[in-house]
Amino acid sequence: MARMKFLCDAERCIECNSCVTACKNEHEVPWGVNRRRVVTINDGVPGERSMSVACMHCSDAPCIAVCPTNVIYQTEEGVVLHDKDGCIGCGYCFYACPFGAPQFPNGPAAFGARGKMDKCTFCAGGPEENGSQAELEKYGRNRLAEGKLPLCAEMCSTKALLGGDATEISDIFRDRVLRRGKGVEAWGWMTAYGKDKEEAK
Amino acid sequence: MSTILRRRSGLGLLAALAVWLLALAGTPAVAADASATPAAAQVERQQTQPLNNAPVWREVRSGEVHFTTVRGPETGVLIQSEGQTWRQWRNGPVTFWGGVLLLVVPTAIGLFFAVKGAVKLHGAPTGRRMQRFSTFERVVHWGTAISFVVLGITGVCILFGKHFIEPVFGNAVLGGLLWAGKNVHNYVGPLFGVFTLLMILAFLRDNVWQAIDSVWIRKAGGIASGEHVPSGRFNFGEKTWFWIGVTFLGLIVAGSGLVMDFPNFGQTRATLQLANIIHGVGAILLIALSLGHIYMGTIGVEGAYQSMKTGYVDETWAKEHHEHWYDEVKAARTGNP
Repeated sequence: MARMKFLCDAERCIECNSCVTACKNEHEVPWGVNRRRVVTINDGVPGERSMSVACMHCSDAPCIAVCPTNVIYQTEEGVVLHDKDGCIGCGYCFYACPFGAPQFPNGPAAFGARGKMDKCTFCAGGPEENGSQAELEKYGRNRLAEGKLPLCAEMCSTKALLGGDATEISDIFRDRVLRRGKGVEAWGWMTAYGKDKEEAK
Repeated sequence: MSTILRRRSGLGLLAALAVWLLALAGTPAVAADASATPAAAQVERQQTQPLNNAPVWREVRSGEVHFTTVRGPETGVLIQSEGQTWRQWRNGPVTFWGGVLLLVVPTAIGLFFAVKGAVKLHGAPTGRRMQRFSTFERVVHWGTAISFVVLGITGVCILFGKHFIEPVFGNAVLGGLLWAGKNVHNYVGPLFGVFTLLMILAFLRDNVWQAIDSVWIRKAGGIASGEHVPSGRFNFGEKTWFWIGVTFLGLIVAGSGLVMDFPNFGQTRATLQLANIIHGVGAILLIALSLGHIYMGTIGVEGAYQSMKTGYVDETWAKEHHEHWYDEVKAARTGNP
């Protein structure tokens, strides 16, 4: 059985936000909710890096551990899904998640009336019947059931975002690191110690 | 320490230590110069080690807000590590020790009742009744009490329901119950806050320290011995509940609850996590204390429930439980309640 994962190659991400747009369009995500976002570290500074982030479908998912109604679960493929019918909008998954994946259609509303949690489903829908109208309305499209991979990764213009079976995507990434014009230097002297400070100037 | 200082070699050691400490303090200052900000460190790294972008990766985990086009609460934070700490506190000690406390306290009270039974009146009721609580005081008390019980039950279900409702009744029942419970909790919460403030105002005057309270402490209220201990309108046990339970824990629980109930003032996740832990710990302690108060006010003391229900007590009851208050009322030194 495959173990589904996302991997974002920070050396390739160009912050085009097409993953964000693709996801929002494919799943008709509620207003104000973005299941995926791109964060740029030190924007505008030489050496800046961008990373696309969504639910990372953790093995020991904090959201599952803290959900008071126990409606978040993990499929055999490692995808973290949730049953919106039992969601009470307490926001605990949002407190616990390291990646800020769980979001709420009403946002941080008064009296905690957030509405039902929404997050990335790895394009695997939810507990409703695969491909049903109910599934589409609550969770978006179920591409995994159709034998397709998450649309954000499929649409990535530079193939920075990889989504799929962990062994496959880590093979792709490992190959990239070794070939990336740095050859044996990938983990060599320059990477570890660099040039002398004076020499660099 | 003094023996070391008295030795001559000790002084040399001390001097060496001082030099070493000075050197230690000087080093980071020099290093910080070159990389005052993470961005500057990154620029420098691009020059010296273009293949190693460690400053960026340190930033990833820093919890700082970075640039993103997506608008929402803390969307610029790539990874927040505090969530894991919160999870461990909430699912660990708060759930475990909180659960233990909420099982042990009622058991202990039940055992105490089984062994000692209720505190009964010794003398015969006179039939003459005197007012102990005004209508305002009773409205405030029952307003606080009812909202507290509703909040306590719904709150306990939110924290522990997964462990005792779901195994028995299943996930659908838990979901339905908590959907209603969470809404009730969030709307009744602010009401409890208002009642708690009114309660403090209403009962503050008669809960200040009196000299007679030291007698009550010395005799431990006569709870175990059954000895008669005179007290004012409220005895030291009631005052303890007023100050630690109603005032201290009540305000903490209400305040931390409001922080979570109205997240629309830009609170960060760190604030909400802290509020949740304070709220949980405070509420569990308050519930444990309240069980003692509820016991004493219902089955524990004969006539206590009637006093808060009707506002009146029999003169015998007043003399046996609050002798000084009885004397003062009789001498017309104080208003009845």
